[in-house]
Amino acid sequence: MASVTFEQATRRYPGADRPAVDCLDLAVGDGEFVVLVGPSGCGKTTSLRMVAGLETVDAGCIRIGARDVTDVEPKDRDVAMVFQNYALYPHMTVAQNMGFALKIAGLPKAEIRDRTLDAARLLDLEPYLARKPKDLSGGQRQRVAMGRAIVRRPQVFLMDEPLSNLDAKLRVQTRNQIAQLQRRLGTTTVYVTHDQVEAMTMGDRVAVLRNGVLQQCGAPRDLYRNPANMFVAEFIGSPAMNLFTLPVVNHSVSLGDWRIRLSREITDAAGEIVVGIRPEHFEIGGRGIEMQIDVVEELGADAYLYGRVTGPDNTFGQPIVARADGHDPPLHGSRVRLHPQRGHLHFFGVDGHRLP
Amino acid sequence: MTAIDESAAVVTRRRKFSKRRARAGRMFVAPNLSAVAVFMVFPLGFSLYMSFQNWDLFRPAKFVGLANYRSLFTGDPLFSIALRNSVVYTVGTVVPTVLISLAVAGVLNRNIRGINFFRTVVFLPLAVSSVVMAVVWQFVFNTNNGLLNIMLGWIGISPIPWLVDPKWAMASLCMVSIWRSVPFATVILLAAMQGVPDTLYEAARLDGAGELRQFVSITVPLIRAAVSFVVVISIIHAFQAFDLVYVLTGRNGGPETATYVLGIMLFQHAFAFLEFGYASALAWVMFAILLVLTVVQLRLARRRTAQEERSWA
Amino acid sequence: MGLADRVIKPSILRGFALYTALAGIAWCALFPILWAVSGSLKNEGEVTMPTLFPSHPQWSNYREVFALMPFWRMFFNSVFYAGCVSVGQVFFCSLAGYAFARLRFRGRDTLFVLYLGTLMVPLTVTVIPQFMLMRVAGLTDTPWAMIVPGLFGSAFGTYLMRQFFQTIPAELEEAAILDGCSPWQIYWRILLPHAKPAVMVLAVLTWFNVWNDFLWPLLMIQRGSIATLTLGLVRMQGEYVARWPVLMAASILILLPLLLVYAVAQRAFIRGIAVTGLGG
Repeated sequence: MASVTFEQATRRYPGADRPAVDCLDLAVGDGEFVVLVGPSGCGKTTSLRMVAGLETVDAGCIRIGARDVTDVEPKDRDVAMVFQNYALYPHMTVAQNMGFALKIAGLPKAEIRDRTLDAARLLDLEPYLARKPKDLSGGQRQRVAMGRAIVRRPQVFLMDEPLSNLDAKLRVQTRNQIAQLQRRLGTTTVYVTHDQVEAMTMGDRVAVLRNGVLQQCGAPRDLYRNPANMFVAEFIGSPAMNLFTLPVVNHSVSLGDWRIRLSREITDAAGEIVVGIRPEHFEIGGRGIEMQIDVVEELGADAYLYGRVTGPDNTFGQPIVARADGHDPPLHGSRVRLHPQRGHLHFFGVDGHRLP
Repeated sequence: MTAIDESAAVVTRRRKFSKRRARAGRMFVAPNLSAVAVFMVFPLGFSLYMSFQNWDLFRPAKFVGLANYRSLFTGDPLFSIALRNSVVYTVGTVVPTVLISLAVAGVLNRNIRGINFFRTVVFLPLAVSSVVMAVVWQFVFNTNNGLLNIMLGWIGISPIPWLVDPKWAMASLCMVSIWRSVPFATVILLAAMQGVPDTLYEAARLDGAGELRQFVSITVPLIRAAVSFVVVISIIHAFQAFDLVYVLTGRNGGPETATYVLGIMLFQHAFAFLEFGYASALAWVMFAILLVLTVVQLRLARRRTAQEERSWA
Repeated sequence: MGLADRVIKPSILRGFALYTALAGIAWCALFPILWAVSGSLKNEGEVTMPTLFPSHPQWSNYREVFALMPFWRMFFNSVFYAGCVSVGQVFFCSLAGYAFARLRFRGRDTLFVLYLGTLMVPLTVTVIPQFMLMRVAGLTDTPWAMIVPGLFGSAFGTYLMRQFFQTIPAELEEAAILDGCSPWQIYWRILLPHAKPAVMVLAVLTWFNVWNDFLWPLLMIQRGSIATLTLGLVRMQGEYVARWPVLMAASILILLPLLLVYAVAQRAFIRGIAVTGLGG
C-alpha cells in the first residue's frame, strides 16, 4: 500500500493543440479510493496510464509512495491494472490468466496456486478456473480481470472504466462489490469512469477533469454542495443543475417575474452572473419562479418537470427542470410556481468560477 | 380479395421471389462450376483412371491394373531417391521458413518510423517469379564469381561449389526456396500478429513480461492458426516443387541426382518419356502422402488445443 | 493516435538494435536483386571478377536483351494473358462467390464442400489431364491454352470471394431488394463495388500467378511469338549459357513491371488479406 501523487504531471500528444493532461496535481492517500471522472477526452484515462507507466510523462512527475516512478518500467512499479475491455489472455485459462504475472515473477508453483485460489474464492470464480475467457460471460470476465490484479497484491490498483461493458443492472451490483472489495483489501485505488453516478457512489474522493485540467477534487458531498465552477456543477448530479445567465439589475437578478436579491460583493463583481439551482431543490407552489410545463417524466418515486420559465407579459424564457413528488405530479401544459430552497442557490461568474 | 386469397397471393409471390433468386444463383455459379468441373474434377478422376493404364499418347492405352504402383514402390530406384530428396527439401525449407518468418514478422510488427519501407522491401520477393529468381541466384551461387563466394572470401573462407557439388546442391536449393517462401509466410504471420489487441501487450507489460516474453507467451500462441496455415501450405508447395528446381539445377535433377525431387521425376516421366500412366500413378502417390500429412497435422493441432484446456497454471 | 504515440519511446540502444536488425533483413531480401543489377552492368570480362560495383556501367547489356529475344512481344503476351485471366477470375469468381454466400438454391452447400475439396488437390495430379484436354481440343500452342483454363474462375477465387461476401451485412442487400433490384443488379451495382479489397487480393494473386507461371507455358507453347516473358528467360538461359550480364539484364527487365504493380498494389493487397481472413 502506498500513496499516489501526481506532481504537475503533463502529457502532450504530438500534433495536438492542447495537452491531454495539463499540470495535474493530485495526491491519493494510502488506502484511499479516488475516482477520476469527466467527459470523453478529459484526460482521465491518460492520467491513469501515466501511473501505470503505459504513457510517457512529458513534464512533472509521478510518485508512488515517496518514490519517483516517472521513468520506471511498468513491471517495476508494483501496480496492477484492470483494463476497460479486460485484456484477458484468450489462449490461457482463468487460472493461468491470474497466475501469469506471478509465474513471471518466479514465485513457486504452490504459492501461485494458493494465491489464485484465494482470489478466486473472493470473487466467486472457483468453478471457472479451468475455463477460457471465451466461455465466460461479461460479468465473469470482469471478475477475472479483477482477480488478475488482486493476486499480485500490488501497492496500487488502477481501474480503467471496468464497468462500462456491463449491462445496467450488473453494473450496479458490481459497483458495490468493487467498493466492498477495496475496503476489505485496503489497497490504494485510482478508478476512472465517465459515469458521475459511479464516481459519487464509489469514491472516497472524486477528481473532476476537463480538457486535461483538474476542475475540482473532493469528497462527493463537497462536489455536490459546493461545486468550484459551472462545469463541475453541471457535471455532478442528474438531471443537471439548472444554470441561468442573468443580467444584474439593481443588485438583483430576475427569473421570470421572481427577483433574487444578491449580496453587494456579488453584484459589484460583474454586470452578468450565472445562477444555479438543482432540480431537486425546488418546492412546488408558493412564491417563486413560474414555469410552463412541457414534458413530465414520471419515474415512480419522483417526477421531473421539463419546461420553460415564464416571464412578465407571458413571455417564455429559459428552459428549466424541477423535481416533483411522483405521487401526484402536475400535468403537462400547466403552470406551476417553483420556490428555491434556502441555501441551495449557487452563483457563478460568467467565466465559470464560483462566486462566494 | 378475401383474406385467404390474399395470403395465398403473398405465398406465391414469396415462392416466386425465392425461385427467382435460386435460378439466379444457379446461373451465377454455372460458368465457374463448369470451369472447376472441367479443369479440376475431371482431371482428378481422369488421372486416377490413367494411373491404371500404360499410355504414351500415340498408341492406344493398355489397362495394367496396379502395375504402375507396384513398379514405383519396388522396381524404381529413382523413386526412393526422389522421395528422399523431396522430404529433405521440404523439411529443409519449411522449418527454417517458419522460424525465420516468425522472427521477421515479430521485428516488423511495430509502428516505428520507416516501418512501411522495410515491410515493402521484405515482401518484395513475393512479386518475383521463381524462374527469374532462379536465374539470378544461379549467378549468386556461381563458384568463381558469385556474390556468395565473394562474401565468404571477405571472411577468409574458400569458395564453395554451390551448384556443382552434389553435397551442396540441395543446400543451395533450400536456400533459394527459403528466400522465396519467407516473404509469403511473413505476410500471413504479420497480418495475424496485427490482429492481436494492443491491450494484451499492455497487460503483459504490467504483469512484468519483457519483450521476448511477450513475443513467446502472447504473440506466438495467439497466431497459432496462421502458423498452422503457413506450415500446411508450405509443405504442400515444397513437396511438389518444380519451377525452382528445374531452372536452378536443371531438368535432370542436378549433379548426380542430388536435387532430383518428385516434381522433376513427374515431369520427366510425363513429358520426356511420355509415360503418362506411370506419371499419373506417381502424382496420386504424392497426393496420398500430402493428404495423410495434412490430416495428421490437423489432428495434432486439435489435440494440442485440447491438452491446453486441461492443464492449469 | 497509433501505437507509437501511446508507447514509451524506446531507448536509443534499443532503437539502434532494431534498425540494425531491419537493415540486415532488408539486405537479405534485396541482395540477389542488387547483385543482379550489378552483374547486368558489367561487361563479359569484368563479370568474372569478384567485385561488387561495375567500373563502367554497361547499359548496352540491356539493349542486347532486346536483340537476343523478342522482349516486347513476350511482354505483350504476358500482359495479355495475365490481364484476361485476372479479369475473368475476378468477374466469374465474384459472381459465384455471391451466389454461394447469399443466394439459396438446392445443393448449394454440398456443392461448396466439393469446391473446398478441390482446393486440396495438388497441381501435379491435374496437370497431365489438363495437358491432354488442351491437346484433344487442339488448343496447344495457341494463346487460348493460356487463357481458357483460368478464364472462368477457380475454386480458390470463389472461396475467397464467398468468404468476403459473407462479411458484408445482409442489410445492404435487403435494402436493395426493397428498392426493386434483381440479383444481377444487386451484384453489379452494390456488392461488387463494395468488394474492392477482396477483388484486389484476387486480381493481384491471379496476375502474379499467370505472369510467373512456368510449367504450363513450358508444356503448351512452342512458338516464340506467343511465349511469355518467363518462358523467354529460360530459353535464353539455355541458349546463352553463362552470358551473365545479358541474362541478368533480362531478369531485371522482367522484374521491373511486376515491381511496379507490386509497389502500387501492396497496401491494398495486405489490407485485403486481413479482410478476407486469408491468414487462417
